[in-house]
Amino acid sequence: MVEFGIEFVPRDLYWKTTFYAIQAEKIGFDYLWITDHFNNRNVYVSLAIVSAYTERIKFGPGVTNPYLVHPVVTAQGVATLNEIAPHRVVCGLGVGDKTTLQMVNINLKKPLATIRESVHIIRETTSGRKLEMQGKIFKVSGAKMNFKIANPIPVFIGAQGPKMLALAAEIGDGVLINASHPRDVENAMKFVREGVEKTDKKLEDLSISAYTSFSIASSYGKALKAVIPVVAYIVAGSPEIILGRHGISVELASKIRDAIVHGQWKEAFSHVDNDMVEAFSICGTPENCIEKIDKLMKVGVNQIVAGSPIGPNMRKSINMIATEIFPNFKK
Amino acid sequence: MALEKIARKIPASLWNVASEKLVDVTLNSQNARKMPSDLAKTILYYWQRDQLATEVGLHRLLEASMILEPDKTISLMEELGLSEIVVMLKETL
Repeated sequence: MVEFGIEFVPRDLYWKTTFYAIQAEKIGFDYLWITDHFNNRNVYVSLAIVSAYTERIKFGPGVTNPYLVHPVVTAQGVATLNEIAPHRVVCGLGVGDKTTLQMVNINLKKPLATIRESVHIIRETTSGRKLEMQGKIFKVSGAKMNFKIANPIPVFIGAQGPKMLALAAEIGDGVLINASHPRDVENAMKFVREGVEKTDKKLEDLSISAYTSFSIASSYGKALKAVIPVVAYIVAGSPEIILGRHGISVELASKIRDAIVHGQWKEAFSHVDNDMVEAFSICGTPENCIEKIDKLMKVGVNQIVAGSPIGPNMRKSINMIATEIFPNFKK
Repeated sequence: MALEKIARKIPASLWNVASEKLVDVTLNSQNARKMPSDLAKTILYYWQRDQLATEVGLHRLLEASMILEPDKTISLMEELGLSEIVVMLKETL
């Protein structure tokens, strides 16, 4: 059976994010992910308050990155959360958002080695073991937590490119495929299978999520208006191979990127067309969303993450997911 | 009159609809930053326990919406036909 996750961006006031988190738990979401960007509210503080007002939903950073946050600090964060909410914490890890990291002069060097070593560090330290490690990226000499961690914390890896997808499937407890279109997810699944084949895991043991940009409303137009800014950012950051897969012009993507870089939002958003929205989001009425979720499930995912913006009115859109979407997929 | 007493005047038959509308006013307010943190936490406490559509929950929602959006709160009470409450709320301004 498919599970559903929801993503919140802590740009909002903490009490609003927490209000929506409580709502998400009440209506039956299985996972709650909070993004980690240094220029938004802190992910662990946000998750700590969410944990205090929820009882069942699993939650974690979705995703944090090892370039800005050393993996031992990530381990410390998720382990502390796990003390507040045992067996509910998951750790989402990925290379991070290039644009945000460039603001603090961080380049995403050697992403595969960085993620592989980070997962090792997080696993070892949250297992309570003392870690000695001379990696290509990280050197650790005798790092050990001074407190006990009651249970293992699953690590989910955010991935988009072929090698990262394979690595995520190989070493992760879950893969967060950064895609909303069945064609992209179907393509990603080839590499996920490759990664699983390197291990003694079975594909069905792995949590495989389509981490989507999601916008639901009573009319397509309302949902579209909310999703356009998010799609503009995705198009601007997408590699040529993915743009090509959806017949999106590289020149147009460059125009959008340039406009975003120069803060010309209206100009950037004006270039977003229906093909882009279709490629990079689940957008529209409940019927539109159900159709696309159904297609995503058919290509092999077992978790759908409803990511930003969720819809033009967060509270109404979450309720719409409960009343219109879940009955089709959750027993 | 204290908002607690005003909230008690909302008839039980309107608790659900009043609570829904007050939540909308509060969440969608452009003045959301004015929300006192202690009050926000109290509202979250009642929301988690499904107690926003009760006398105590409505009292806190009314308090929040009067801080964030007094005019919209009064209009909302007018829409609900609660003229006595409208007068009382205006007196608190």
